[in-house]
Formats: sequence, structure tokens, C-alpha cells
Amino acid sequence: MDLVSERLNVEDYDAAVELFYERRWTDGLPVVLPTRRRVEAMIAACMRDPQESLGAVPPKGGAATIEKLAINAVMGGCLPEHFPVVIAAMQAMLEPAHNLNGVLQTTHMCVSLVIVNGPIARRLQFNSRDGVFGNGYRANAAVGRAVRLGLWNLGGAFPWDTDKSTLSHPGEYAFCIAEEEEDNPWRPLHVERGCPEGSDAVTVFACEAPHSVFCYGTPEEMLHVLTDSMCSLGNNNVHVLGQTLVTLNPLNAEEFARRGWSKADLRQYLWEHARRRLGDVRACGVVHEQFRQMERDAGRYPHRYDVENPTTRLPVTATPDDIHVVVAGGRSYFAAVLPGWGGFGGFAVTRRIEWSS
Amino acid sequence: MELLSPVWPVTTTPRPAKTRPTTLSGVRIALVDDNLDIPFTTHLETLLTERTGAKVRRLVKPSGTAPSPASLIDEAATSDVAVVGIGL
Repeated sequence: MDLVSERLNVEDYDAAVELFYERRWTDGLPVVLPTRRRVEAMIAACMRDPQESLGAVPPKGGAATIEKLAINAVMGGCLPEHFPVVIAAMQAMLEPAHNLNGVLQTTHMCVSLVIVNGPIARRLQFNSRDGVFGNGYRANAAVGRAVRLGLWNLGGAFPWDTDKSTLSHPGEYAFCIAEEEEDNPWRPLHVERGCPEGSDAVTVFACEAPHSVFCYGTPEEMLHVLTDSMCSLGNNNVHVLGQTLVTLNPLNAEEFARRGWSKADLRQYLWEHARRRLGDVRACGVVHEQFRQMERDAGRYPHRYDVENPTTRLPVTATPDDIHVVVAGGRSYFAAVLPGWGGFGGFAVTRRIEWSS
Repeated sequence: MELLSPVWPVTTTPRPAKTRPTTLSGVRIALVDDNLDIPFTTHLETLLTERTGAKVRRLVKPSGTAPSPASLIDEAATSDVAVVGIGL
């Protein structure tokens, strides 16, 4: 196999691990060492030209070639069968709608979440149930970390440098879940977004870490807490719209469906009721106001809302379709809301997972 | 053992900086407004004009969260000095 990356001759394992720290080629955790054998196995799994580039990774513009992604996938702990998921995630993040350049450098604390859908999730043992945003599952951890290492080593946005995230969140190490599709009464996310039933896909969406929502009971009771949680004044959506993500656990979804709620019904209700009065929003200060004005000037904030009237109830997204809903987690008392970056980008992008070119 | 580098090789070569002007009086300054804090940038524009006698031209980015379009960079490059980043 014709590989072009610089080759490093290192004495032993310990020296290799330390070399990667010295060169700042890791995110702070040790890595699996990218030997030629491991990298070639990774590339062989996707049957693509090692020098094919998916694009330049911002901000520094390193090319996301199959070879470079494979090296980073090895470092993240991926098996070769995980690699097509990493490729699809990188393709999705490089779509202009995601504004990866902004996501990686904003002062906001959003991180691109990777959501895996399709039979591949079960086959590769991605966790979609209890503790879905947490640790313990190789597929979630390795794919999530491979994506982040690819961004780190090819994009080069480092904290205290061009990554200006004020606080960031732990998803910088790995932020990958699968949607629960078996214990789920509704169509999965990727099918809603245009992929065929039974296909494999990833969706990326830049968002905050999950906010816990104590969500249990009748649909009306669950909606009461969900709508309140979605329109916290601290999140960007309240001020500059964009997109947001609601994660229901399978028991929540089952209860909604049992009472006749489709996912579209849910989304519509959330959009109509997760709102704040303009007076409350204005009380946050002049900078928030300026951001909203900027979004209006850019045509990203609909003019149908009277932003001079303090009784106007402002939504958190421009349309119901900007509220993403996935089902994941354990059958229990909690859901999660993951606000987005706002109207600036990080928008959801879905890409099919391809098994050969 | 032999390992492969995970980073993209740096191929850019630094170019020498232009000589800094010794005065801003009469100098053409392109003030690139990132469209995130309009009052702050307006204040800066006023100070630059009044205190230095520079000819300030304000170029507004379409979005403060994405790089400037090439046309804006080209336009800024026609000035003697460009202010491309400001901190609060």
C-alpha cells in the first residue's frame, strides 16, 4: 500500500507514547500507536484510495485524506470495521452547513456530536441505551475519539490558541452515541432526514453537553418540563435560534406513542411552547440583543416576530424541523436537552456510511 | 518500531512583514468589522479617525463566525494597514 506520511523510528512503546505528547499529536490521553500494519488494515476496510481527500480541516487546513484519518482512527482505538463510520462523520462535519471552522473556534462550548443510525450500530455494538453519553463502550469511545483526534491533528485548533471555547465540555475527547432503533416507536433520525430504511448513516450536530431533564409521566407532564428546559436563558437558541436536540429515553417515547403522539406532533408542540417573552430575553443585556440584531440583519432570524413588543414570545428555533429528536438511553426518569450553537452554524448534517467507493 | 505521523505536513513559508508605518496620520486603514459587536467597532472607528487622522474604511464581514470572503480580504489588502482582529 502506498502511504506518504512521515515515518518515525522510535525505540520502544514508552518512547513512542511520550513522542506523541511532545509533538502535541494527542489530546491529552495516550494513544494506540499508529504502526504501518494497523494503518493499512484500517484503510483496507474502506477500500478507498489512501490519498483521497475529504477536504481541508479548519482552521489550519490539513487535508483529511483517508491515510491521515486512518492513522488517527488507529490512535483513537478503532477497529477497521469502525473506520467507515469515522469517514462518514468527517464528511458530514466538512459540509458547509456545519460551519466546522466556527464550531472549532467559537467561544461557545459546543462540540460536534456524532449520532450513529442503522443496523451498523447494533452490529458494531455501539451503545444506544443506558449511559449512552457516557463511557464503557468501545465503538462509541473509539469512533468518537478518532473523530476528535482527526480534528486535532489535521485542523489544529488547540485551546489557548485558536480554539477559543470559554469552558468547552468533556465531549472534546469523544462525543458519539447511537440512536436506539429497536425500543423506539418512531422512525429513526436518519430516515427522517432522507436516508432509506435499513441504511447506515451518521448525523453530526454541534451542541452543548447533555442537560439532564427529570422527565417522567404523562405526555403533558413530560412536555411541561421539556419545554421549560429547552428555553433556558443561558442557551444560545433563545437569543439567536439555530437548532437544538432533545434526547428522549425509550420509556418516554413509548409513553408519547401510546398516547398517539407522533414525533412530528412532539416537535410541533415543543416549538410552539418552548418560548420566552421578549422582555425576559432583553433583560439578559445589550450584547445578547446585538447578536439577535446581527442574525436578523443576516436574514437568519425571521421577521415575523415583533422584536419591539415585550410580550412577544420568542421561539428557540426558526421552525419545528430545527428541533432534532432522538431516542436513546435507559428506560427511566430522565431525558436530555442539548442546545446548539445558535444561528451561527453547527447545524445537523447526515451522511450515509459507505462501505466501499 | 516504525510509526506514521498523524498530522498534515506544514508547507507554507512565512513571508516578511511589511514595514510598519511610523504614523497613522493620513494612512488608509481597513477596519474589518466581524459584525459581532457593532457599538464597540463603531467606537474604535471613531477613535482611530479622531485621534490619528487616519482614513478608516470599515469592511463588514457577512458573519462573525466564518472566515472573511476572499473579496473582502482583497479589498482590505488595497489599504496601507488592516485591522483584522479586536479583543474585548
